[in-house]
Amino acid sequence: MAIPTLGSILLGTTNPDRLRDWYAAALAPGDAGGVFTEVTPTMFAATFGDTSLLIDGRSDVAGENPEPGRVVLNFHVDDARATAEHLKGLGVTWLVELEEREGGLFGTLVDPDGNYVQIIELKE
Amino acid sequence: MVADPPVPESPAGVRWRARLRAITLESRSPDRAAAWYREALGLSDDAPLLTVGGVELRFTLGTCDPPSAVEPARIVLNFHVDDIRAAEGRLIALEAVWVRELERTRWGIIGTVLDLDGNYVQVVEPAPDSPPCLQRNEEHR
Repeated sequence: MAIPTLGSILLGTTNPDRLRDWYAAALAPGDAGGVFTEVTPTMFAATFGDTSLLIDGRSDVAGENPEPGRVVLNFHVDDARATAEHLKGLGVTWLVELEEREGGLFGTLVDPDGNYVQIIELKE
Repeated sequence: MVADPPVPESPAGVRWRARLRAITLESRSPDRAAAWYREALGLSDDAPLLTVGGVELRFTLGTCDPPSAVEPARIVLNFHVDDIRAAEGRLIALEAVWVRELERTRWGIIGTVLDLDGNYVQVVEPAPDSPPCLQRNEEHR
């Protein structure tokens, strides 16, 4: 029996189009053309490394995450400073701007639903 | 002499192409939460990091109030398995709370439970004809 994989992470949202556009612009999915696949008219999927992000339009969540610290998505990038410049150009909201810590560069931003997203460039 | 063909420019997005490498879960009892995931997923407790298919699960101490997630459908972890009945057996042995018992859907067989902090955790045996982005990634067995 194979070991399970984290096949995907689902983000429930009241505004799937907005969230899809934000992740596609901010974090450049690995899919051809850097675009999300439309699974259904209100569900979109894209791959970020070995895991997919599913954005699912739902009615059992509010417009904004009431507990954003509960679950944090950590994305690794090759060039965090270039990524941060790119994100600043998009006008994203930062919880913690990019900073050097032991182990590498870390920054935390807030997606349009209020979820926390951490950007990491680990030192070699 | 023939000039070298122009080198195509890299897509601009490649420098900020992001890989989802870790999920941090806040818990009132991080050690118990980590142990629950190891049991639920049938992972060895020898490895220092709890890694599932190339993604690390990290647990930090939180003082969440209320202790259970207010909106568990906000962020759902979907664990893909190749034997959904074995996964179900592990969850039953853990006395996990089922939100949705195993059900055949167009995406495959899916069941939903609560973890110890009230987050939704799904086990999925993907259907062979589900979209590639919803298939099992076989590279991290």
